[in-house]
Amino acid sequence: MKAHRVGAIVLRQAYEARHNLDRVTDALYWPVIDVLLWGFMSVYLGHRDGAKPGVASFLLGTAILWGVFRNFQRDIAVGFLSEVWARNLIGLFSTPLSVSEYVSGLIVINLLKAAAGMVVAGLVAWIFYSFDIFPLLPRLLPHLGVLMVFALAVGILVTGLIFRYSTRIQSLSWSITGLLMPFSCVFYPLDALPRSMRPIALALPTTHAFEGMRLVMSGGPIGLPSLVAGYGLDAVYLALATAAFTRLFHAARSRGLLVKLE
Amino acid sequence: MLLEVSALTKDFGGFRALDAISFSVGPGEIVGLLGPNGAGKSTTVHALLGFILPTSGTIRLFGMDPLKHREAVFARVNLISPYVGFPPRLTVFENLLVYARLYGLNDGRRTIRELLDVLGIDDLRDTPFSRLSSGEATRVGLCKAFLNDPDFLVLDEPLANLDPHAALQVKARLVEMQRERGTAILYTSHNMAQVEELCDRVIFLDRGRIVAHGTPIDVTREMLGEDREAPALREVFLSLGGRRPRESA
Repeated sequence: MKAHRVGAIVLRQAYEARHNLDRVTDALYWPVIDVLLWGFMSVYLGHRDGAKPGVASFLLGTAILWGVFRNFQRDIAVGFLSEVWARNLIGLFSTPLSVSEYVSGLIVINLLKAAAGMVVAGLVAWIFYSFDIFPLLPRLLPHLGVLMVFALAVGILVTGLIFRYSTRIQSLSWSITGLLMPFSCVFYPLDALPRSMRPIALALPTTHAFEGMRLVMSGGPIGLPSLVAGYGLDAVYLALATAAFTRLFHAARSRGLLVKLE
Repeated sequence: MLLEVSALTKDFGGFRALDAISFSVGPGEIVGLLGPNGAGKSTTVHALLGFILPTSGTIRLFGMDPLKHREAVFARVNLISPYVGFPPRLTVFENLLVYARLYGLNDGRRTIRELLDVLGIDDLRDTPFSRLSSGEATRVGLCKAFLNDPDFLVLDEPLANLDPHAALQVKARLVEMQRERGTAILYTSHNMAQVEELCDRVIFLDRGRIVAHGTPIDVTREMLGEDREAPALREVFLSLGGRRPRESA
């Protein structure tokens, strides 16, 4: 892996962000909308009798962190798609660039974009709802890492599926997190789910990340069991996604599909 | 030899797109890869570049398998193809700078400025790619093609989008640059006059098989069965045209 080629992909995506307003709104618009929406909800709940203390913080905090997960996953897959839409895939991969260098470049630029989105959403929560997520960040970061690795695995799998089954399934790039959300216990604890759905939730790293985050936001320590379960599942999903991608990419090359993607 | 293709075969399901083709390209040579639509030209080019996996046969570029030695091989190769675009919102200079970084050029900005100047499009450096005419876009493609000073260049229909005047200009630049740098070129085109003018040798493909191979004049004589004084590849091409066309791979 060569740093200059990873840097070239970062540069290419940075130029795209500079010229394409869609990329800026994707990175900032939805995180801000999420915070505004859940902020109003938390204000409403805060005024109700019997609302548990800290509910507003949970909702706002998890809304910010779910936004980071959703944007990072979407931007990994959309990064590849943007090359397909621009018919740039053949050009890029007729250079010494490898797939792993390309993915590394996407990870770097999308981490920067996710961080920017989180900072803006955090500022909105602080200004409008007096919720300050920033002092919690050092203890939230290990859990956020669980989310990012899983987002990467999902992004890699979706990209492999697009290579194999073409852009007719490209909407998976921005819709798959919606499928994961109900089972990830983002806004409610695991025991709020029906008993029959809990095994599905426990099989997702996102559930363990949000359980751990709620513990941190309620003033508790970093939840080691949540981290172990989260990163353990991440390792499994990343290995499976990489294996699936390799297989799907090979199938696409065997069938001559890469040159027909548009 | 710089490129050696041996018994290259590609099946797509029950359809044989390439049937055990073998050819080579030496340093500094311009070789035309010709044939009707669906003959197997694009499949050959995409197999050379690793975008299509062969069913059987071997490809050696600089003596190496391009699938196993990507970095060493593709640092010395470049491509122009109708399948290749550029991100439309990036400017010409930004697009070329990304490629310069991919090839690890030490002084990419200077190289880009020189190439833009040579190809007469230095005034377009800050223009978004989407605003270029097809002729200007072709010249940007040529800038990209010569960025890494390649030893082997694949030109897939490089002049197809140009008006005759622009095609003449670009062709002249291409020949000049090729002579200066000694780049070997694999050239696909349906414009037989261009091919006769540019190519040292031609390979005629039809239905995935090589049907003729040699200098333009030798191929003309062989395929038409007449003792011609000058190459007539258009006639050769038309002699293949009556055959049943196949779907392109």
